[in-house]
Amino acid sequence: MVSPASMPSALTFELIARCSTTRARAANLTLPHGLVQLPLFMPVATQASLKGLTPQQLEETGCRLCLNNTYHLGLKPGQEVLEKIGGAHKLQGWKHNILTDSGGFQMVSLLKLANITEEGVRFLSPHDGTPMLLTPEHSIALQNTIGSDIIMQLDDVLVTTSPDTKRMREAMERSVRWLDRCIAAHANPTTQNLFCIIQGGLDLEMRKECCKEMVARNTPGIAIGGLSGGEAKADYCRVVNACTSLLPELKPRYVMGIGYPEDLVVSVALGADMFDCVWPTRTARFGNAITKHGMLNLRHARYANDFGPLEEGCGCICCRTGEGSLGVTRAFVHHVAAKETVGAHLVTIHNVWYQLALMRSVRQSIIEDRFPKFLKQFFSDLHAGDKTKYPEWAVEALLTVGVDLMED
Amino acid sequence: MASENGGRLAFEVLTQVDHSVIAPRLGRLSVPGRKDLETPNFFAITSRGAAPHMTPDVISSRTQFGGVHMALEDFVDKAGKGGTPPIMNVPNSSPLHTFTALPKRISTLLAPRRTPAVTAPVGNSNTAVSIFTSTGFQAISNKNYINYISAMHPDIAIGLGDVPYGSVPGSKRVEKMGDRTEKWLSELLNEKSEEQAVFAPILPIDFLSQSEYINYIADEAANSVSGLAFYDSNILPDIPATTAVAKLPRLTLDEPSSPAQILRQISLGMDIFTIPFIGFATDAGIALTFRFPKPLPPGSEGEQKEEMSSGTSLSPLGIDMWTSSHATTLSPLSLGCECYTCTSHHLAYIQHLLSAKEMLGWTLIQIHNHYIMSEFFAAIRSSIRKGAFEEDVRVFERVYESELPEKSGSGLRVRGYHYKSEGPGEPKKNRSAWGNLGPNEGKVEALIPIRTQRD
Ligand SMILES: [Zn+2]
Ligand SMILES: [Zn+2]
Repeated sequence: MVSPASMPSALTFELIARCSTTRARAANLTLPHGLVQLPLFMPVATQASLKGLTPQQLEETGCRLCLNNTYHLGLKPGQEVLEKIGGAHKLQGWKHNILTDSGGFQMVSLLKLANITEEGVRFLSPHDGTPMLLTPEHSIALQNTIGSDIIMQLDDVLVTTSPDTKRMREAMERSVRWLDRCIAAHANPTTQNLFCIIQGGLDLEMRKECCKEMVARNTPGIAIGGLSGGEAKADYCRVVNACTSLLPELKPRYVMGIGYPEDLVVSVALGADMFDCVWPTRTARFGNAITKHGMLNLRHARYANDFGPLEEGCGCICCRTGEGSLGVTRAFVHHVAAKETVGAHLVTIHNVWYQLALMRSVRQSIIEDRFPKFLKQFFSDLHAGDKTKYPEWAVEALLTVGVDLMED
Repeated sequence: MASENGGRLAFEVLTQVDHSVIAPRLGRLSVPGRKDLETPNFFAITSRGAAPHMTPDVISSRTQFGGVHMALEDFVDKAGKGGTPPIMNVPNSSPLHTFTALPKRISTLLAPRRTPAVTAPVGNSNTAVSIFTSTGFQAISNKNYINYISAMHPDIAIGLGDVPYGSVPGSKRVEKMGDRTEKWLSELLNEKSEEQAVFAPILPIDFLSQSEYINYIADEAANSVSGLAFYDSNILPDIPATTAVAKLPRLTLDEPSSPAQILRQISLGMDIFTIPFIGFATDAGIALTFRFPKPLPPGSEGEQKEEMSSGTSLSPLGIDMWTSSHATTLSPLSLGCECYTCTSHHLAYIQHLLSAKEMLGWTLIQIHNHYIMSEFFAAIRSSIRKGAFEEDVRVFERVYESELPEKSGSGLRVRGYHYKSEGPGEPKKNRSAWGNLGPNEGKVEALIPIRTQRD
């Protein structure tokens, strides 16, 4: 086993504030390509591009850390090209931070029948059917070539709802062994931050065991993986709760694959800092705008003559008023939605802004120690003040950290 | 900005020429509230009021075009079912700009139909033309068209013309075309508001077949119309060379297929162009690379490469971005181009985006292609100003291929609903080839070559 003290790090984590009621934190995370403020949502630019937005448009949403998917970049443009170009930042002209996944999850989710052995993940090439193999060493080598600021270990992911406890334990223990192989293979620990990924399904004991093993490896950051796979939200919250209570205070905690606004705010209350999800950008493509009052499907006929902004009070370039405003209306998005790519681009800009702005206001409320009040307002806005509509899982989860959404 | 002329559109011919001589000319189009447009120049073509692939912020900060062509048929889907098109309900005085979030500096040109337009199964009648909306074909009467113009307040409206699409009109039809168009134009001129600028349509039939109509314009309407819109620019030399007609700006809607055709039309005295091939090139993944009159001085790397890849001494007008040989090329799309795409990105990224079917690929090519076109016209104006145009055209024809490169055909079935090939639910085409692999099946290759491990 590696000595914890010897694990280098290419980040600094500065805790700025702690909520006096919940486990929420505000922190400054300085990565090789600059500062990001936690809690944070990271939009997903799967193939080195975010749904038609120019890198500059993405920057204008306030984004300073986005995701690229290793598996996709490994296929296109491929490692050789990435090597020649000098990595993903140079490929896409992005001056800020990039996080890459290991590629393993993509394979397991896209190729439902991928075969996992101790060596790695075996699968058939989507191009020509050639048998392929992704090992922890390959994944790290590829991420080293990509040059992302945060890289993820290859893990053995199972859906959390798998009933096979034996297989779940095998996956958890293998993920620990693969973490060691990733650490050993990591060529750039002083310029790229390797995050471990806690596994163990919905079994809290297994999660705790995994936390203990992985925390001992002293990676610069820690992810909680295997969630967002269809488990009950209450189970999800229990796992996040169990993990965050065991994780070191002074490291970033990243819950993978989470992006619904209510999931984000509850997860922050449970002590998580970073999130990513394709949902906000994917749903934009179908004309769905995220607002604090819920989602609007702008393809609906009711918006054809609605000359208001996508969301009143939103600060994105589509919605803002005054200087630099584009004056994009719901009616225009309705007019072009699903007919011109511009419609998708505009809603994407708005949705990414919404997610980032949500996290900015979460952070501000933590710093001002009024996060519980923020949570109450958030759920009230989302459900038009009707408490009977509040999701039970959220009410329960927040009770465990001292916030009662039902009280006035 | 043009504020003189009592809030009306004005056009000034800047070159001193004898009106009876056919020659290229310089001009300035001043539209109240918009940025002046130096001509020759072009208007970008929109689709449903949007410049394809470019959001309004991209248009405003990354493009130079001064006007857009908008088609009425892109806005009136609802009218077919007896409803009121939303554009009619926009609560202010500049409905087209407001509805489409178009930057204020840009002029709007409203035409009845898109360019190019889809052929309608039913022909035009004495009172109406067929248009094609997203919900199907509709007949639109001149009366309705006039109502739309007065509600939408485009900076320039093209009068309704009896333009046949698709088929060559027979002699009987041809006779009617001029008559109908004259009637429709005179109705429009009678009913329009004082400030509304109207361009008279010139029909895509020979001059003699529409001479009565054109003479009507020259003799009676030259002071009420603000310009001429040519559905066939070959008619231009036949237009009566009266002073009143000669001072009108001339716009073409006849779909030039190459820069050489644009140059030819400019030599006939055309002022403003609409150029469908910009968008066609973008959608085909072709980055335009021509400059007027010739490429930057040779010796630079990009230049030699272009010549080699064309396999001839002529330079291509564009490069096919699908070609995998660009995969690691870190140079801009076009040498010396200062557009956003070329100053921020390289061939390798664009090639990757197309190959990965990412929408941004088309956005970046579209920005570049419009920029190339703006630079092309700027160079043409400077050439005319120097009196070198004829010679420069000869140089251009000597240096460049005459037509745009062929589409390579690879990957043209792109994902994205603008191609209407797929609905919601994300692409499934990649998944079909994926499959299970048993532990002992075949030779196993690494996803990536394993690099030499650290020593
Ligand atoms: Zn917005
Ligand atoms: Zn360019």
